[in-house]
Amino acid sequence: MFFHIVLERNMQLHPRHFGRHLRDNLIAKLMKDVEGTCSGRHGFVVAITGIENIGKGMIRDGTGFVTFPVKYQCVVFRPFKGEILEAVVTMVNKMGFFAEAGPVQIFVSNHLIPDDMEFQSGDAPNYTTSDGSVKIQKDSEVRLKIIGTRVDATEIFCIGTIKDDFLGVINDPAST
Amino acid sequence: MSLATDSPVHSSSSDDFAAFLDGELDSISSASLDQEEVENDDGSDVQSMKRRKMEKMESIEEPQDSTSHRSLEENLEASTKKDVCTHPGFFGAMCILCGQRMDDESGVTFGYIHKELRLGNDEIARLRKTDMKNLLRHKKLYLVLDLDHTLLNSTELKDLTSEEEYLRSQTDSLQEGNLFKLDSMPMMTKLRPFVHTFLKEASTMFEMYIYTMGDRFYASEMAKLLDPKKEYFNCRVISRDESTQRHQKGLDLVLGQESSVLILDDTESAWPKYKDNLILMERYNYFASSCRQFGFNCKSLSELKTDENEPDGALATVLKVLKQIHNIFFDELREDLAVRDVRQVLKTIRMEVLKGCKIIFSHVFPIKFQAENHPFWRMAEQLGATCSTELDPSVTHVVSTDIGTEKSRWAVKEKKFLVRPGWIEAANYLWQKQPEENFSLDRIKNQ
Ligand SMILES: [Mg+2]
Ligand SMILES: [Zn+2]
Repeated sequence: MFFHIVLERNMQLHPRHFGRHLRDNLIAKLMKDVEGTCSGRHGFVVAITGIENIGKGMIRDGTGFVTFPVKYQCVVFRPFKGEILEAVVTMVNKMGFFAEAGPVQIFVSNHLIPDDMEFQSGDAPNYTTSDGSVKIQKDSEVRLKIIGTRVDATEIFCIGTIKDDFLGVINDPAST
Repeated sequence: MSLATDSPVHSSSSDDFAAFLDGELDSISSASLDQEEVENDDGSDVQSMKRRKMEKMESIEEPQDSTSHRSLEENLEASTKKDVCTHPGFFGAMCILCGQRMDDESGVTFGYIHKELRLGNDEIARLRKTDMKNLLRHKKLYLVLDLDHTLLNSTELKDLTSEEEYLRSQTDSLQEGNLFKLDSMPMMTKLRPFVHTFLKEASTMFEMYIYTMGDRFYASEMAKLLDPKKEYFNCRVISRDESTQRHQKGLDLVLGQESSVLILDDTESAWPKYKDNLILMERYNYFASSCRQFGFNCKSLSELKTDENEPDGALATVLKVLKQIHNIFFDELREDLAVRDVRQVLKTIRMEVLKGCKIIFSHVFPIKFQAENHPFWRMAEQLGATCSTELDPSVTHVVSTDIGTEKSRWAVKEKKFLVRPGWIEAANYLWQKQPEENFSLDRIKNQ
């Protein structure tokens, strides 16, 4: 799920960046440091959308670096148990399949793939229904339900299932 | 801190759920907007902060603890699942079946598939069983392939001898793609002749794995050279980084039953528990550094500007054997597929090679060495020969290193074959009894 929230961060800036472009430099550094990273609590920071406030700088003794408290708005992404997600399949094997939704890595075990879908090995391994009408393979888009999440400092892992109504393939690259 | 519910990027699937989350997050954030929650970009407080955050995470991690937002039905489902689940495996320390957070360390990590994937023994057994049925239906068995000296030979660039320098200019010109200078490492790799045909044909009979004592990076680089279109190995590339034991290879990471797995490797000692599955390969030493490593003082293939023969080299030979085994397994055996054992087939074919030979050894084993335990003795027996220590008329071959021994002279007098030990090795690698005259003792003397 996406959230639009306000976060705060203490930014340290080298004195060479001071001057007319101080604010721009601060924001550029903030984007570089924060976007695309994960925080255990908020999830994955997708993008910074605005700056709320830049507080007074504090000079650090000895170094000349200055610390600015910056409040910024950003879009974060964090999966929750029970949430329905759309994801792209990255790898299919006999244990199940792996899929990604942005930074989130999801594993769907073959226990949680409908029983009428069977694993087919070969150079493009896949799960297919007996009549061949539905196929899950690499690059397929699937709708799945999250049944477990773990958000690390740098990575987000989920357990997913497609063994439920309205879940499964929504777009098969091979059939288009 | 609050959720901006009117935000266009907010994509809630249910309003109730969003309200629940809002509540959950707010209850935490009310306490958290104090100074210590603020992130520092210099990493000074990050460690302790992360820990604090992870602790706080727990409270939103398990939403079923606060039951007010969940229907009774859901709770019942969750609790019965909890009781029934056998927790067959784990991904990111969560059960792959019920999603529960589990921190026990049991089971086997399948790091070559995903570093976070771990499966329990029962689950591995279940997967092996279902997979085997699937595979046998497609008339396939499993084949585990070693890299170095089996499918290819690599050398560090700094180890190239002056006579090998010419290779540097040849890597680009080879359209066939057999000699590569790697961009990612200061190395040069030569693929064994016939390897492309070998992989193509073997893939129709086997599901193939790579298993190397090289590290992860090397393994995947080599897999790219051997299988650029990713037709053969998919994710089945195992390196020493994922190995479950140091300095040893095993079949615990291979999802196939031992009775249907064959292994090609040039190092017998790497597979102490799986000798019956192993087809020992003659070492492919193309580069001079590799010859030195194994104590050969001769010129390397690269220095001689030559190579193993394509049509009757080691890979072509072993492919024929694999075809024969596959054929016997699926078309000749009469028992039920599930009880057939490829190890038995391998053994039977091997026993044909020196069938009918009765061998006496002379000056081959160190004095006081238990003859039956010597590699040559065992090899000869595996190839179907009978080994003996008694000179009698039924002996057909005397394997010797010295023409002057009593047994050697007896062989000459009695018109028995007198050969060097290499005759047994050659038969072992070539799967065929070799002409004795190519291994005669006097030929060594003449050289
Ligand atoms: Mg090797
Ligand atoms: Zn479980």
